[in-house]
Amino acid sequence: MNHFPEAWGRPRDDIYGSYNASYLPQSRGGLQSHHQPTTHTQQPIVTGTSVLALKFSTGVVIAADNLASYGSLARFTDVHRLKPFNKRAVVGFGGDVSDMQYLDRLLNSLDVEENYTSPTGDAKSDDDRALVDAPLMSAKNLHTYLAKVMYKRRTDFNPLWNALLVCGLDEKDQPFLASADLLGTTFSAPSMATGFGAHLAQPLLRRVAPDEAATQELSKEKAVEAIKECMKVLFYRDARSMNEYSVAVIDQSGVELKEDEKLENQSWAFADRIKGYGTQTV
Amino acid sequence: MASLFQQSMPSTGPGYSFASAPTHHSSSGPRQHAFYPYTDNGGSTLGISGATFTILAGDTRSTSGYNINSRYAPKLFRIGGDGPENEGARIVLSVVGFAADGNALKERLDTMVKMYRYQHGKEISVHACAQRLSHILYGKRFFPYYVTAILGGLDDEGKGALYSYDPVGSYEREQCRAAGAASSLIMPFLDNQVNLKNQYDPASGEGLEKVMRVPEPLPQETVEQLVRDAFTSAVERHIEVGDGLQMMIITKEGVQETFTPLKKD
Amino acid sequence: MDALVAQYSQPSHSAQDTTLDDSLALSSKIAPPLSLNFELPPIDSHSAWLRAMTDDHSNPQCPIKIAHGTTTLAFRFKGGIIVATDSRATAGNWIASQTVKKVIEINSCLLGTMAGGAADCQYWLAYLGMMCRLHELRHKRRISVAAASKILANLVYSYKGMGLSMGTMCAGVTPTEGPALYYVDNDGTRLAGNMFCVGSGQTFAYGVLDAEYKYEMEEDEALELGKRSILAATHRDAFSGGFINLYHVKEEGWVKHGFMDTNPIFWKTKLEKGEFSNVTSKLE
Repeated sequence: MNHFPEAWGRPRDDIYGSYNASYLPQSRGGLQSHHQPTTHTQQPIVTGTSVLALKFSTGVVIAADNLASYGSLARFTDVHRLKPFNKRAVVGFGGDVSDMQYLDRLLNSLDVEENYTSPTGDAKSDDDRALVDAPLMSAKNLHTYLAKVMYKRRTDFNPLWNALLVCGLDEKDQPFLASADLLGTTFSAPSMATGFGAHLAQPLLRRVAPDEAATQELSKEKAVEAIKECMKVLFYRDARSMNEYSVAVIDQSGVELKEDEKLENQSWAFADRIKGYGTQTV
Repeated sequence: MASLFQQSMPSTGPGYSFASAPTHHSSSGPRQHAFYPYTDNGGSTLGISGATFTILAGDTRSTSGYNINSRYAPKLFRIGGDGPENEGARIVLSVVGFAADGNALKERLDTMVKMYRYQHGKEISVHACAQRLSHILYGKRFFPYYVTAILGGLDDEGKGALYSYDPVGSYEREQCRAAGAASSLIMPFLDNQVNLKNQYDPASGEGLEKVMRVPEPLPQETVEQLVRDAFTSAVERHIEVGDGLQMMIITKEGVQETFTPLKKD
Repeated sequence: MDALVAQYSQPSHSAQDTTLDDSLALSSKIAPPLSLNFELPPIDSHSAWLRAMTDDHSNPQCPIKIAHGTTTLAFRFKGGIIVATDSRATAGNWIASQTVKKVIEINSCLLGTMAGGAADCQYWLAYLGMMCRLHELRHKRRISVAAASKILANLVYSYKGMGLSMGTMCAGVTPTEGPALYYVDNDGTRLAGNMFCVGSGQTFAYGVLDAEYKYEMEEDEALELGKRSILAATHRDAFSGGFINLYHVKEEGWVKHGFMDTNPIFWKTKLEKGEFSNVTSKLE
């Protein structure tokens, strides 16, 4: 301990070594070069870009493109990043694809386990039958589970390099949408977007659904249309995106997942008005 | 012995200022991980206790950097009570800082308080709950929860009780406390309006003759208005504060929750 | 091989333990509220990591600012021990609190003081209180101050190099020892003595205390001296201030002599005794 008045009680350099700023990001006076956390033991290699989701009156719509990038290389063009869990929940994955696949395996085995332990066919009363028909885990349960997995891994300093959107219906069959990221941070909003989508798509989605009350008024068709429009905007500007994407709609009738959608009615008319890049000066 | 003094002697500069802190950033020892496990989700909380009530409040914005994650992410949690919705709870915890740590802390404390009731057959007192929270925080002394917590409830005599914490669990019972991003904006306001700091009786004379006003517990309506004023002002001057104001008022009737919209810019 | 079989005969999600240590704490029925189980960051150099996160002196932008305490003093005299502290806690340049109770009442006859990390002092002195009570129950007599301070010193020594920050004094009067005063800090140093000042304002407090101290003081003189020394420190040390917390430890136990705002005391000292004449009191 330092006994000099100006640094009283603080660690002494001759005992603790000099202050090691490499543990901190630059915004905190540290030496880490990225705002994003980086590790030397692990870093994302094959990555997926944004996931978008929007609540509407009776359900949720979620979309993500089918591209898995290897750095700037558009490496795999048929990677489906929306994973249906059961007929009430879908998870959308941004970030590292291998970690996504690990989580997918985890969710599959969880689903198998849930189906084994949930009440089985020998229903005697109507109440029992209702219980049998009901999927055991709602989207909300699934989100809680995944958030804990993510937080546990960050606490172990071995994060799963993903940003997740969990959407579907909660136990009262109300639309549910929430996120979890590699640090275990969770939050919920009427519209959500990860990665680049948080900058590009979220403002557009918030115009459609500024608050919960607005989602109550929003029809499924309007919501799907808004999401598709955002996917288009993302494709215009996100260099790690692609024009083929998956979209899922979750409502009372179950999950409707389409994995080979294509962007339609693209207009590149804005492109010739863009000036000022590279050598172009006029 | 020489080596003891060769390294940076803290007395090389005039000192007494943070500007004199050593700025050389040479790393020592092998660098293994550069994973930074924290983030700051912004926002602010505050609590004021009165004679028969405690009010906790927090804005509902969640941020990461310059992005707004959500306009409704509560920072106030009921602790104890029944079931996942904590019905009938009499203690409220507010956490601000890193939301994931805050959530983990809330769940831990909530579980402890519920276990207490199953094991002892009575509700935990705020005093005991406050001490327990301190110990939970200190249990992570070497890997701290990046949160500032405020705990509110009613003490055994029915008076408002408010406890504030630092990230590693030092705690103190106070009349009022602001925490989080805008604490440096709100706390001086509370010092002046609740603890009547630097307020003097105008009739008492001039200069050194002035008599300080003595703080007394404020009525509930006054406190609610103070809380609203504190937050509307903080929203004007801090980018991480806004969207909505969640308030929990703990009285002997239970916990009453209110929501007031704040500016969304 | 068995381990391998066990690993793959279970669904992979069971291997993913999401519960942290809560289940452990709960399954052992009641987790002891004061325990020696601390979670560590899962890296080799915890202390360097912890320092990077919390040392706001080396890096004012560090994310976690721990509340620090500052001027405390205690001295022995013929009538017992005077313990006095300020009440300011700072986190970086921010005054986190002006009303910290830096005298910790370990039990009715033992006092501890808080300087350094506020949480460290609160927790370990509470732990010491528990150990002292256990000692009483086991041995049917009160613990000596020497033994109590040694428990604390051994404890913090076992955490040496981990990044604890505390400079504390244990003061008590027992029939065997008389008035006894020990200084214990997180290096594991444990010293018996007549007089200690601890914290960033220690030098200012020593200045006053050394000039005026006599073992044969009367009680009121001693209390006044303790108060005056803290006042000097709050005046000259930016990290000290708030209220003066004054205690007198006697053989029957400790007596509290107030939690007094420094500001009126300062002006009283200046105007009535003519001290602090460097400060002007004219109203222009």
